[in-house]
Amino acid sequence: MSDIISVKNLIKKYKDFTAVNDISFSVKQGEIFGILGPNGAGKTTTLEIMETLKTLTSGEVLIDGYDVSKHPWEVKRRIGVQLQSSAFYPEVRLTELLDMFAAMYDVKIDPMEMLREVELEDKAKSYVKQLSGGQQQRFSIASTLINQPNVIFLDEPTTGLDPQARIHLWEMVRKINKNGVTIVLTTHYMDEAEQLCDRLAVMDHGKILKIGTPKQFIQDLLKTGFKKEVKQKQANLEDVFLNLTGRQLREN
Amino acid sequence: MKKRYSKPHQIRAFFVMMKYFFLAQTRNPGTFAFGFLFPVVFISIFGLIGNSTTPLSIGFPTNSNLNNPIISTIKKQSYVKIQTGSESQLEKSMKQGNLSGIINVKGLSQNPPKYQVGIITSSANQQTASAITSMVTEIVDQQNLQAAGVTNPAITIVNQQLAGQQIRYIDFALPGQIGFALLSTAIFGTVFGLIYLKKALVLKRMFATPTHAITILLAQGGSRLIMAVLQTLIILILGIVLFKFYLPHGWITFVELLFLSIIALIAFLGFGYFMAGLVNDENAAGPMVNLITLPQFLLSGTFFPTSELPNWLQPIANILPLSFFNEAVRKITTEGGSIEQTIPYMLGLVLWGAVMYLLAAKTFKWE
Repeated sequence: MSDIISVKNLIKKYKDFTAVNDISFSVKQGEIFGILGPNGAGKTTTLEIMETLKTLTSGEVLIDGYDVSKHPWEVKRRIGVQLQSSAFYPEVRLTELLDMFAAMYDVKIDPMEMLREVELEDKAKSYVKQLSGGQQQRFSIASTLINQPNVIFLDEPTTGLDPQARIHLWEMVRKINKNGVTIVLTTHYMDEAEQLCDRLAVMDHGKILKIGTPKQFIQDLLKTGFKKEVKQKQANLEDVFLNLTGRQLREN
Repeated sequence: MKKRYSKPHQIRAFFVMMKYFFLAQTRNPGTFAFGFLFPVVFISIFGLIGNSTTPLSIGFPTNSNLNNPIISTIKKQSYVKIQTGSESQLEKSMKQGNLSGIINVKGLSQNPPKYQVGIITSSANQQTASAITSMVTEIVDQQNLQAAGVTNPAITIVNQQLAGQQIRYIDFALPGQIGFALLSTAIFGTVFGLIYLKKALVLKRMFATPTHAITILLAQGGSRLIMAVLQTLIILILGIVLFKFYLPHGWITFVELLFLSIIALIAFLGFGYFMAGLVNDENAAGPMVNLITLPQFLLSGTFFPTSELPNWLQPIANILPLSFFNEAVRKITTEGGSIEQTIPYMLGLVLWGAVMYLLAAKTFKWE
């Protein structure tokens, strides 16, 4: 598989603060790539440079063959972007928002069809602020697909969602990925990283500490002689919660 | 997998965005309050003020002589409102500002009839005081001449009044209300609107699309322009229908007013963009917006003419952007002038606008 994203020696400096400190990695076509790290690690800054929303201080970032510094407009056309907060114009209905984004990407779409994809067709006439957290995130994901992008970026897509909504969103992300869209996401949930991502990069203090598959990560740690006290636990509390409340998605 | 893309059509994005930005405004209660409700309430109040003339209210003490030719002549004046009461009651009423003056006639002798006329006026209102004094002086002079049998006095006064257009308060106030609505739409709407869009990452999400930032800002401005034209239309039509607002040249004046409103809004939007670019937080924007708008509402001839301001303040008041607009509008409405006469004011507006757009371009922070 070829690389759809390649980041080389990326540095982003603010006056006296280095947010991203010389990182390099690549993302393969068709994979789900996760960037893990605590708050302030530089995940969002890295993402926003790839999304052409921030300029880089030095280094090179290629998205689908285009340099983000030299050809930002080519990059913008080929990517889908979801930001941390659901960032949509107030007092504009869902179908209208999709119609507006279609104009901004200069493509033709059927807004109802797009809403059906993310199971929001009955909310067509609503405003974003009237949606639940999970619905907002799903709408946000629908908006990333308007221009049929080759790669989409999701910034903490499940933060603040209840367990049912998270599982539902993961299924949606997998479905989009199966259709051939490469996905780059940030998260600070380990279970999300483990279940959803093909490969991971762990970031802290603007540096990438390690890149690999979730399986590799665990094997490497075990090879160092790391041992966790093993208790025979057949289930964890999340299993209990989901068993009690069911896996069915809750809205409203 | 690779597709060929053509250059994005900024024109389509512009019009579609403008459409939805406009729809969003119509769904926002703030637009309705500042843009329509306030101006309409104001012109309704001013329309009613304009329909009544304030009379001279004069008090006659009950213990004075009320049966004489002086009193009866005063009573005949159409602009005089009479009140009677005890001397102390009337004085109290005058001190409270409810009475313009007290006329106290004393009979000195029956045959031949001789009278003494006492005038008491309030020092608080020099204008009505002199009006009452001159009215009484004139009546007394006439009756003295009559009593002396003079039918052909040496000196006569020819008092000629030219028939002119009667300017009511509504004719003065309505243009000010259009200015008020335009400035509110341009500044409140743009500043708080854009700050929200920045804070909620709405603008950022839009910047991730292949639409230029400037197209987004232009669509914002365009949607406010449509709103402003609607506001001007509604205020004008209400003024014309309900209060017979005077348009000297009919529909030509009407179209000229719309044109002036568009020029003014474009200039005022410059202020909006400048301030919205400078700060990123509603709390910081509040005082700044008030600092720009409040003095203009008060000093720019919105509610009363700038000529009533103290002399030292007038040069400052006259170059405020809202003053330029108000002056220009009154030139073509109350003064019945032509659009060419408004060119200096339009240039003033354009200059203010240009300075603000330049400052905005230099200082605008997108996030």
